Formats: sequence, C-alpha cells, structure tokens
Amino acid sequence: MNNVKRPLLSAALLGTIVLACLLAGVFAPGDATRMDFYASLVPPDAAHPFGTDQLGRDLFKMILHGGRVSLIIGLLASCAAALIAVVYGTAAGLAPRWLDNFLMRVTELIMSIPPILYVITLLAALGKPTMLSLSLVIGVTSWMNIAKIVRAEVRQIRRSEHILAARLMGAPFLYTLRRHLLPNFMPSIMFMLISNVSQAIAAEATLSFLGLGMPPGSATWGTLMGLSEDALLTNSWWIILIPSLFLITTLICIVNIGEYLRRVQH
Amino acid sequence: MVRAVLKKLLLLIIFMLALSVIVFWLARIAPGDPLTAYYGDAVERMNEQQREAAMIRLSLDKPIPVQYFTWLRNALTGDFGISHQYKQNVLSVIGRLWTNTLLLGGISYLLTFLGAILLGAFCAAKEGGLADRAIYRIGTATSVIPSFFVALLAILIFSVNLKLLPTSGAYSIGGGGLSDRALHLVLPVGVMVLSHLWYYAYMIRNRIIEELRKDYVVLLRVKRVSGMSILLRHCLRNALPMLITIMAVSVPHIIAGTYIVEVVFGYPGLGTLTFESAQYRDYNMLSVLTLLTGLIILVSNVAGQWLSEALDPRMRHDEITEEATNE
Repeated sequence: MNNVKRPLLSAALLGTIVLACLLAGVFAPGDATRMDFYASLVPPDAAHPFGTDQLGRDLFKMILHGGRVSLIIGLLASCAAALIAVVYGTAAGLAPRWLDNFLMRVTELIMSIPPILYVITLLAALGKPTMLSLSLVIGVTSWMNIAKIVRAEVRQIRRSEHILAARLMGAPFLYTLRRHLLPNFMPSIMFMLISNVSQAIAAEATLSFLGLGMPPGSATWGTLMGLSEDALLTNSWWIILIPSLFLITTLICIVNIGEYLRRVQH
Repeated sequence: MVRAVLKKLLLLIIFMLALSVIVFWLARIAPGDPLTAYYGDAVERMNEQQREAAMIRLSLDKPIPVQYFTWLRNALTGDFGISHQYKQNVLSVIGRLWTNTLLLGGISYLLTFLGAILLGAFCAAKEGGLADRAIYRIGTATSVIPSFFVALLAILIFSVNLKLLPTSGAYSIGGGGLSDRALHLVLPVGVMVLSHLWYYAYMIRNRIIEELRKDYVVLLRVKRVSGMSILLRHCLRNALPMLITIMAVSVPHIIAGTYIVEVVFGYPGLGTLTFESAQYRDYNMLSVLTLLTGLIILVSNVAGQWLSEALDPRMRHDEITEEATNE
C-alpha cells in the first residue's frame, strides 16, 4: 500500500482549481458574462489576464465562474449515476437468479447504445437544458459499469453470515444496503466514482461545445471551448488554449487521483 | 450449436424490440404533434379528410400501445416516415450518407486496433521500463482529453496554420477523386485513432503481461525461443479471444467517437445527421438513427461473443463455472 506514489501534485492542482472556482466571486467579482465591445478579442494583458472573447467578455472571470457550473454538473451527474448504480447493482446482486439475469440483460441493452446518442435524444425530448436536467441526463446514461461491479461484489458477499443474519432478522433492503453491503463494496467502486466525475465533466464540455448542452450565452468550460471554432478564424490562440488548459488539467488530475485509489485497492 | 445460434438470435430480436419501445416512447414524450412529425409540412396542405385518413393510418385516434404496433408494422416494411429537415423519406437520406460513416469509422477502427496491438505488445515487452512509463503517462493524458478538442487542435495546426489539409467535409466541392477523399479523411481518422488508441493498448498490454508470467513462457525461454517469437506467436495468440471480445465491446465507443469527430469536421455522415436531427427536432430521423446504431452494436456484440467462444471454448466454460461458484 505504501509503495504507491501519492498524487500530491494532482491533488494540489485540482484543489487550487476547485477553490478558485468556488471563490469565483472573490477572485473575479462582477458579472462574468458582461460584454464590452470596445475590448473585444484583447490578448492576455494586465487588465484581462486571460484576454477577452469576441464579445469582449473577460475570459478569466468566465473560466472561474464557468468552472463552478462545470464542476457542479460533474459532481451532480456522478452522484446521480452512483445512486442508481448502487441501488440497481445491489438489487441485482441480492435478487434470485432469473431476476438478476434479466436486470443484467437490461444494462447490456442500455450499454449497447452510445451514451452520446441517449443524451442527444433525451435532451431533444426534454427541451431547453438546465444545469439540473443536464446533470441528470449525463448521470442517467453513465451508471451501468459501476452497477455491474456492485452486483459482482454483492453476489460474492451475499452468502456471508452477517448478511444472512441481517436478512433473516428481517432487515429492510435499504438498511442492509447501507449497514452491511455499502461498506464492503465501497472501496472497489471508489475509483470508478472518481473517474466518473471526470467523464461527466468531459461530457458536459462535449455537449455544450456541440451546442446541445448549456445555452451558448451561459459560461461553462464547455461553452467556452465552443467559442474556439470562431477563434480559429481570427487565430486568437488564448480563447482556444486557456479554457481547455483548465478543463484538461482538471480531468487529468481527477483521473490520476482515481488511478491512485485503484492501485491502493489492488 | 443451432440452439445456441437461435437463442442469440431470439435475444437480439427481444433487444431490438425493447429498443424500439424506448425510441417510440422518447419520440412521443418529445414536444410537438406526431402527425406533423411523421408527414412534415405536408400536414398543412392536407384537407380535413386527408388529415383524418392520415390519423387513422397512424392509429393516432387509438391508445398508445396500438399506436406503437402500427408504428412497428410500418417500420418493419421500411416506412419510417418523412424527415422534417430534408423533406424526404428518412431511409433515403440515411442511404446517401451511411457509406461515409462506414469509411471513417471502419478505417479508424482497424487502425486503432492495429496500433493498439503493436503499442500494447511493445509496452508489455518493456514492462516497467522508461518507454513503458513514458507511454503510459502520455497515453493517459490523450485518452482523457475530449476528442473534440484534439480535433480542434488538429484543425488549428494542420489546416489553419500549416495549410496542409482541408478543415472539413468529405470531399472538395465539385471534386471527389480518390486522393481528395483520402486527404479529407486524414485528420478525422488521426483524431479518432489518437483518442482511442491508448485505452485499448493498455488493456492489451496488461493481458500480454499476464500471459508473459505463465509457465509455458519460461519453458519457451529455456528452449531459447526468441523474445519476439514468444510475444507474437505465443502470447498474442493466447490473448486473441480477449482481444476479439474487446474489439466487439469497443464498437459503441468507436461509433460514438466517429459521431463526435464527424460533427467537428463537418463530415457528412450519420453522426452529423444525428446531431442535426437533434438540433432541428427531427424525431423520425433520430429514432431511425438510434435503432440503426443499436442494431450494428448488438450484432457486433453477438458476433464477437460467438467468435471468441469458437476460438476458445473455455470462454463458455468460465461463465458456467462462475455461475456455479456464485450459487
């Protein structure tokens, strides 16, 4: 356990980014989406440390405020996915063989469609996306792999005495889950939960970039990266590189931390 | 044998039916009038009688389950309705574009796995060495970066600044020669391979390392069989069933990747079509595309499972023993 190197750098970087985004109001006070046409496409300077976009919006402010939205969507989506996965996986693990088989076939069915297609279809059906609906849609489409592991773990420990005892004494499903099962399989799904956050953040970025996520007027890392297509024409490198630098650093840090947890586990 | 095939076929049909229920339900909860969704603007030109006849044809006057079966019957005869956006039969629009997607997806798929096998074998041979660790770092980074951003960077470097390759489309206007098509494929395929390569290479690497630790490798070493030969002729062959399983399971990832890359490069294919139909709320088109994608993936899963069982009967056996130990 001790020979695995701790991801200190990743943790520090991630901590800084998260803190900066949470305290966006302190570091970058004011309205992030305020436009200033006299200061459009300004390269990074003292007044605008990260430059401005075509509409004269300050990128520094937008990145911090937008990061908050992106991070919250990532967390909310992962929480939703984790909740579904734990309940579904435990139910399948404890269920009789035929029901377990059926439930696993259902997950295979869901997994057979690329999540992006679900998300597109769901969003098209739901109408204008909001932070909550976007998180839920991303969460609803990303729980299957975690559920499979939960199920396998539950199936392994379901015959052990303490769980049999609890069930014989008539403990309700949710009680058994929380008290006896969750502590047992939590370590083995922890790293998946963590990497799920990064996948959810990437999903938000991709969707918003494609114009299907948060509306273009709002600031998230995804919509900011969506600006880069126009920036290609004006060759304004800061619009393309700086927001993506934040996004990618965050993603890599989260994945490194998840990878560390996986190694500690094995 | 025949029973196994029939069982898989049955499962496939059940899956497709379940998928069609989901798709139908999604199209129904979506905002908008189903009659307009099916016939497009033609509804406005219909008189009262025509409109009623159309309603009856689609069973819109009947409860939802009946509507579903009517839709299913029409669908089975190849009648999925009109695409809003193209004012044409849905299938004819798809018929024009699917080869483009097959070309992009197919080439990316083959190159990704060819690269993944080579890279995986290389890293396995150099396990723990500098090259292995460096490739691991770079690989993790590339597979984390969203593919749309890799695509943007590629356009910025190769098209905008170096002016070497076209930014978008599948062929130049008016043109369409072989070299022109190939030139338009370089960037999309490159981005696809780059963003998927490491994920599979890493799995292959770990599988080969596992294989290299087995006793027969020691025997081969004692017999002075060269390292290259052990790796390629023995270990890789033993890893083949697992490789085929991965290749089957990877189809949804590759398709999803192709769809996103198509959109960024404005490449005319099913991905761009999916994206456009979502934007313009073209539900008929979207449901057919979802069904089609689902069918391709399900078929490839079944084929992959069957192939790996045929290559290694233990795959079937393992499942039985696993079930036995669980109970």
